[in-house]
Amino acid sequence: MQLKKLVELKSRFVAREVDNELILVPLTNNVAQMSELFTLNETAKFIWENATDTMTIPEMEDLMTDTFNIDAATAGKDIIAFLKNIENLLKKS
Amino acid sequence: MQNCRYSFNLGIADYTIRLLSDSEIKLEEGYLPFVIPESIQVPDFTIECLTEINTAQFEAGDLVFEAKNDKQRFYSIYSIGSELGFVVYNQQKEDEIQQVALLDRTFTHWKVWSEIIENAIIPLKYPLGPIIMHYITLKTSAVMMHASAAFDGNNARLFTGFSGVGKSTISRLMADAGNQIINDDRIIIRNIDSSYFVYNTPMYYADKPKKALLKSVFLISHSPENKIKKLSGATAISKVMAFCIQNNFDKQFIQNRLTFFGELCKTVSIFELGFVPNEQVVHFIKEHDV
Repeated sequence: MQLKKLVELKSRFVAREVDNELILVPLTNNVAQMSELFTLNETAKFIWENATDTMTIPEMEDLMTDTFNIDAATAGKDIIAFLKNIENLLKKS
Repeated sequence: MQNCRYSFNLGIADYTIRLLSDSEIKLEEGYLPFVIPESIQVPDFTIECLTEINTAQFEAGDLVFEAKNDKQRFYSIYSIGSELGFVVYNQQKEDEIQQVALLDRTFTHWKVWSEIIENAIIPLKYPLGPIIMHYITLKTSAVMMHASAAFDGNNARLFTGFSGVGKSTISRLMADAGNQIINDDRIIIRNIDSSYFVYNTPMYYADKPKKALLKSVFLISHSPENKIKKLSGATAISKVMAFCIQNNFDKQFIQNRLTFFGELCKTVSIFELGFVPNEQVVHFIKEHDV
């Protein structure tokens, strides 16, 4: 999944910030039960809030390395893991 | 429907629900203890009970939600203008419609259509009764959860988790230790003046209405040893909210729930509890939930 897709999928969630973390609840048309909802830590929240439909993953890596004390490889792993989690969450809902 | 032949009130979770009908109404056994005397007070919610099921009014609506599994449909919800329409299926006969209902945009007035059986209608027949309870909580600062709750004479502790994690087992252990069980399956939590109260709701069996102040919530699972962890913030909210009864097709419903649980988790302690199913867990809970 690319960041453009993430931006498209945002409308399928309701987000609420609590103590610098973000809770995501997917909109759903059935009774799928989740063991827990999705909470985003600081870096995942950053990706969620800063992704645009024209941004590439390397551009997001640059933005993250400028903001957090992490290298590009770590940022890249965080981005891929986050996008995969979002995909999985929507599959369950 | 101002001059109905039949009219009576139910008091559930401190809500007054008035049922009105021109046909004789039958209640399932579990509702009987919740019947309260007619009074002049304006009810919080009304349910107009009608006969002759007709689904034509739903044809112009949009299907927004379906409660179903691989084997059967339980109910479908349609958006019809500013109202919500409910089609409830017979669980014994595939695709046979048991009842239909319409909820107005204020979420306070229902119309329920049922077939007359043996000269009477059963407007709150399962599962429509609990569905109506759920939508009552959506209108107010309340939620309905799959949970058990035990009252120790001062406060209530609520236990929740997936089916089979031990809600009934822990209820039995708490009861053996002298606690009153509010219910071991379906609980309403209400915020009243910043305090949280748990209530039982009508079940398939008769039980008197119960209410208690909520002290703590336990997300339970079986474990080789008793272990407990206190949760807070987003983790607490997201884990507890996962076990409330949800029809998450509407953003406003979800926002209301997030607001409710955000406030609840500031007031009520939230724990993850892994437990061994014996009486030791009752002492373990009391030691840690102080």
